Amino acid sequence: MLAIWDGAGSIRLLGLLLQGTITTLQIFLLTLLLSLPLGLVIALGRISTHKWISSPLKLFILIMRGTPLLLQLIFVYFAPSYMLPEGLSFRIPRFTAAIIAFTLNYAAYFAEIYRGGIQSIPRGQYEAAAVLGFTKTQTFLRIILPQVIKRILPPISNEVITLVKDTALVQILGISELFRVAKNESSRIFSTTPLFVAGLFYLFMNWIVTKTFHNAEKKLGYYK
Amino acid sequence: MQILKVENLFKGFDELEVVNGVSFQIQQGEVVGVIGPSGSGKSTLLRCLTLLEKIEHGRIVVAGETMVETSPQGQVVYAPEEKLRKIRLRLGMVFQNFNLFPHFTVLRNITEAPILVGGISPEEAEATALQLLKKIGLQEKATAYPYQLSGGQCQRVAIARAMAMKPDILFFDEPTSALDPELTGEVLKVIRTLAVERMTMMVVTHEMSFAREVADRVIFMDNGQIIEEGPPQQIFENPSNERTRSFLQNYNLSFRA
Repeated sequence: MLAIWDGAGSIRLLGLLLQGTITTLQIFLLTLLLSLPLGLVIALGRISTHKWISSPLKLFILIMRGTPLLLQLIFVYFAPSYMLPEGLSFRIPRFTAAIIAFTLNYAAYFAEIYRGGIQSIPRGQYEAAAVLGFTKTQTFLRIILPQVIKRILPPISNEVITLVKDTALVQILGISELFRVAKNESSRIFSTTPLFVAGLFYLFMNWIVTKTFHNAEKKLGYYK
Repeated sequence: MQILKVENLFKGFDELEVVNGVSFQIQQGEVVGVIGPSGSGKSTLLRCLTLLEKIEHGRIVVAGETMVETSPQGQVVYAPEEKLRKIRLRLGMVFQNFNLFPHFTVLRNITEAPILVGGISPEEAEATALQLLKKIGLQEKATAYPYQLSGGQCQRVAIARAMAMKPDILFFDEPTSALDPELTGEVLKVIRTLAVERMTMMVVTHEMSFAREVADRVIFMDNGQIIEEGPPQQIFENPSNERTRSFLQNYNLSFRA
């Protein structure tokens, strides 16, 4: 514990953790950017009355939510080089593999949140829009989606907070994100302190996430 | 001029026939009241006329344009999408539960469709909307959101929203059934004003005195069929059919109770 209580040690630790934090934030932001729209597309397909669209998506959601994200990371990273026949097999960069696995996993969770939100909008909203002559796309984008977003903000914020912490899983692929950096430093100096400092970093990030969602909810609170 | 012509309309859900061979016509400027017991197919009929439900048999003609017809082989054929879109613009609908858009202000509830669907400039749509709001006595609520309004006010806005599209005919599906009794008056007053202006309307209602006072013609439905139709005096004072008589009698009794 005492080993880092000199100035140089603390500065070195903070520098390392900040570097890890940058990687963590990259994974976090890229995953959000990709999985939020993908989740909406999956939700719309999942709601579809065409079984050939909804059934595969149901299975996809089951698998993504039903198996460990850790395993999915390993699968995406190793599958292209081990499961494809020789000649077709290729290696996928670690970071890319992490983003693909996270995006697919979180899109599945977001899809179910979107679906719940979309299905909670009363039929009457669709009917009123139809009678006024709105097209289906206009109805969805102007009438339904804005109301869905307001309703799903709380469950979405839950997932986003979890995502901040889940980024620690990518260390299984040897990516030096915040937690891995802290763990390595911990072993090097025989102290748990770096891990707890890293914990404060996660807490700070999620404090910002919480505040952001709180503000968004307030902003959409102008109607009921 | 004939605004609506319905011929031998059938609509069922699963095994149940809800509308069972209905035919009638509505002329421009006519106000038609539709009465009848719950489950008699009144609302389903309106939903078929406003394209919210697909019919199973029959023909519907709106202002001379065929919206849907049935081939001699029994195939129901709707007009092509482009034509259907045009026909839909001639039809306005006011729902029992208002169905206002909660995330829009009162003004935007009224202007959204004229701008987006009708292709009218925002300035013009706003001017029309403000006129309509003045007419229903809610100018000062233009910037309010639906949750800030009473049920009666919501329904008046819903009527203005439908009117803003300048429909040829306005359908009302039990417009006062979701309202507290003390709020029905203000909504009926707006409909009455429209009737005086000779707006063509078809009103499904349980307000017998209103139907009697405002309608030019009353249709009594039971079991998905039109049992009797005629001027209000005839239907209410001298119904020729036994079922009409017993329905109106129940009504009078429940009113006294």
